Amino acid sequence: MTTTRRGFLAAGTLASAALLVPRGVRGLPSEIRAPAPGAAGSPGLGALHEASPLPAHVALAQGALDRAKAAGASYADVRLVALTREHIEVRDRRVERVSQSDQIGLSVRVLVNGAWGFGATPQLIAAQVRKVTDRAVAGAKASAALARRVGAGPVELPRIAPVTANWATTHTLDPFSVGPAEKAALLLEAAAAVMGVAGVSHADARVTCVREDKLLLTSEGSRLHQIHLRVAPELTATAVDRRRGHFASRDHEAPPLAIGWEYLTDLDLVTAAVGVAQDALKKLHAPVVEPGQRHVILAPSNLYLTIHESIGHPTELDRAVGLEANFAGTSFLRVADTGVLQYANERVNVFADRTQPGGLATTGWDDEGVATSRWPLIEKGKFVGWQTTREQAGWIGETASHGCSYGHGYDGVQFQRMPNVSLQPGTEGYTTEDLINATDDGVYITGRGSWSIDQQRHNFQFGGQMFWRVKRGRIVSALRDVAYQANSLDFWRSCDMLGGASSYRLGGSMGDGKGEPQQMNAVSHGCPPARFRAAVVRTGGAK
Amino acid sequence: MTLTAAAAKALCRAVLAEASFGDVRVHVGSKQTGDLRFGASRPTTGGDVETLQISVTAQRDGRRATVTGNRTDAASLRALVARAETLAALAPVDPEASGPLGPTKPLRVAARDATVAAMTPQARADLVGEAIEVGKASGLEVSGHVQHRETADAFADRRGLSVFHVATELSMTCTCRTPDGTGSSKGGFISHARGAFSAKALATRVAEAALRSRNPEPIEAGRYTVVLMPDAVAELLDFLVERMDARAAGEGRSFFARAAGGTKIGETLFDPRVTLRSDPSDRGNPSSPLAEDGRPQARTTWIERGIVRTLHASRSYAELAGVPAVPVPNNIHMEGEANDLEALIAKVDRGLLVTRLWYNRMLDPKGIVATGLTRDGTFSIQGGKLGGPVKNLRYNDGPLTLLSRLVALGKPERAGMSTARVWVVPPMVVEGFHFESTSDAI
Repeated sequence: MTTTRRGFLAAGTLASAALLVPRGVRGLPSEIRAPAPGAAGSPGLGALHEASPLPAHVALAQGALDRAKAAGASYADVRLVALTREHIEVRDRRVERVSQSDQIGLSVRVLVNGAWGFGATPQLIAAQVRKVTDRAVAGAKASAALARRVGAGPVELPRIAPVTANWATTHTLDPFSVGPAEKAALLLEAAAAVMGVAGVSHADARVTCVREDKLLLTSEGSRLHQIHLRVAPELTATAVDRRRGHFASRDHEAPPLAIGWEYLTDLDLVTAAVGVAQDALKKLHAPVVEPGQRHVILAPSNLYLTIHESIGHPTELDRAVGLEANFAGTSFLRVADTGVLQYANERVNVFADRTQPGGLATTGWDDEGVATSRWPLIEKGKFVGWQTTREQAGWIGETASHGCSYGHGYDGVQFQRMPNVSLQPGTEGYTTEDLINATDDGVYITGRGSWSIDQQRHNFQFGGQMFWRVKRGRIVSALRDVAYQANSLDFWRSCDMLGGASSYRLGGSMGDGKGEPQQMNAVSHGCPPARFRAAVVRTGGAK
Repeated sequence: MTLTAAAAKALCRAVLAEASFGDVRVHVGSKQTGDLRFGASRPTTGGDVETLQISVTAQRDGRRATVTGNRTDAASLRALVARAETLAALAPVDPEASGPLGPTKPLRVAARDATVAAMTPQARADLVGEAIEVGKASGLEVSGHVQHRETADAFADRRGLSVFHVATELSMTCTCRTPDGTGSSKGGFISHARGAFSAKALATRVAEAALRSRNPEPIEAGRYTVVLMPDAVAELLDFLVERMDARAAGEGRSFFARAAGGTKIGETLFDPRVTLRSDPSDRGNPSSPLAEDGRPQARTTWIERGIVRTLHASRSYAELAGVPAVPVPNNIHMEGEANDLEALIAKVDRGLLVTRLWYNRMLDPKGIVATGLTRDGTFSIQGGKLGGPVKNLRYNDGPLTLLSRLVALGKPERAGMSTARVWVVPPMVVEGFHFESTSDAI
């Protein structure tokens, strides 16, 4: 059945899709206060800092720095980290899990004879910290001797001015000030709204709240106490067609954000739940896609992850020089491509930004004391910039780090991690409907599905949550079992329409994995809806 | 140094002593890890890290919560238990709540190797140095990771559960790439014991494969007969193991659901040569006899000569549905045949050899169809002989193809690059494996 755009809107599908976009995370959200110098966050000592357990251990941290210096470290940093996670999970009409985790500890990173060493312990007592520091120094010395043996040069760090500061994520309501019963009640209500839609069999509702509290001391004299808050709501409806042996799941598209509990209050999960459930039924009974090369119109809730994988990862300098070859992989980009390679259509501008309001990777300073900033990766389609740490700046002839050092928890050593990487909106001011109206034959895709990309970031295949067949400027039907496949450069060069500033949204992930042992990073990607050409493939059912 | 059995059990007792609820459960996990990364033929980062997790679950009248901390002083333990009980009291009632486990008799598994437990930063640097020197001698860029760890886990509850397991693990992976970026290969070793492991031998094998993998030829996507090496087999079977879930089957959301209701346990679904078992007490490749929730990991037959025998189930679902509460396995042993690799290749007239698969993601949980790419060594096979390297390919296919379109099996071996479970699986020859597109990635 063909539905006109007006009829389609009246049927509530786009309207329900609009509900899936949280308030407060638009391009320039008026709800979020003006950022502190450097980054979106609150300076000064707030209630969060007053309640922090970390300042009590500063003398211990200072002792580790002194001991490392005495043992010959040319640089050292100590991170005290308290990582708190609360996770509540509801399935159908019952609570499946209420959990809270607190991990506190100290790590010391040392640079001795031009090589890194690292040690970490949860035992915040002087004897143990001395032991860990000594092990870190021993590790650095063994690596330095090995580096000399294999002809590798020493690690060099550009100097930075020491700074003492406090910083916290901008928020109205501390998510840990809201009790788990209240949180679970909200999830149960949302799950009940899903289950109330006839034909829907299961509802899963979850919320994860994270407080990452860290105090960095460096041998250069910096003392930075930063507290990050993150909230990740999830809601899934599943419809089962037992007779045909099919089922379809539909996820709410609300992203995780650096924000307070006000996010959930604004989100109105319960109202949106009905739309999510109806979409699951639509998906269950939708026809499969006809494969072929055509236009794909990607909503921000889908495109963010494509940006993450096909721009975020390739522009990590450590990948490009081979340091991650054994696990995450390398990059199709080479250092010589900087300022030369046409990465994308000239309407495409992409910025790395650790100061972006709501961004999961937003912070005041990175994990080696570098003030955060915003800088271009792609300008008018041309590749112009890399993600760097202090150690890496000199590798590409730069004098300062872009502030991308991050270590997860107290037990993960810092290395280069992705900042927020965001596609800038187009100048024409297009809406999603404009993109649909301009498309003769295409698929409109929203939400995050399955995703996979090769280790050099050439070939990717991404799914989505909802898929809509677009014919002669109209949405004609829902589709199921859809993915789009392309080569990163072909894909970005094919971008021929971008939504305007009012269509810009943040997406994000708390599970950006990299390194060995693998560490998690939380990162956001803002973008407008955009149109590309790609191979649309059929992913499920009979092949 | 991890917690000894006595120290871990004492910590469990100290936690339980603070309990006011009748049902309080505790898991103490202590880990000591040493590692060293290397990339672009030089050491990069690594260190010595100790972690501790004390997880307390409190439950009363179906209200339950779990809190985790890592402070061991008496005041912190008291606060931890109090917080678990407070949270539990606030949590809504779970109508499917299961009671405490009580006493169990897990398998006795010897999995601690004193040599691995005693490894130092210098021992790691020596292994890495051997690998870098081998690669450099062949003009290759070398990267990788060496890691040794000791883990000690204890579980206890107020009904009398008190179990402990200690294990070591040494792993080393090594990637060699040609400096012009036209060739790449990877290999790995993983075991509870150092044994006769040689970093030099590992790097030599990887370097040879990297040199053979240079300048891969273009290839058409489509269906191929493939020889899947054990790491590729493990990656695909992982999707199967995850989906062998009794609840998903019972609720109709699974390949293992029968259309008329119920599950397919007892049905012949696969080739009769397919047998998958778990045995934590396997001498050569031991794994933990304890599941993540403290349940014993028993010897289990999942698929026997093509017939599905067992699905895993959470305790709450097992009670609800009246099925055995078998935990998700942490080890899989798949039976093989006597064929060596050459004999497997000889069975293929036109096909591909796949060393490993990467970025594997589920596409269709019902049909267990996944996507991902070949990586680090994909070669053509022509007329029963191994040919030259070909470009990497993206597959859209899954474990059901492996188990039903099976041509031949090799000898089972430990998949050295697979860390999530202990995988002892054979290389496999499979017909009609579906590749969707090719990739320029090397």
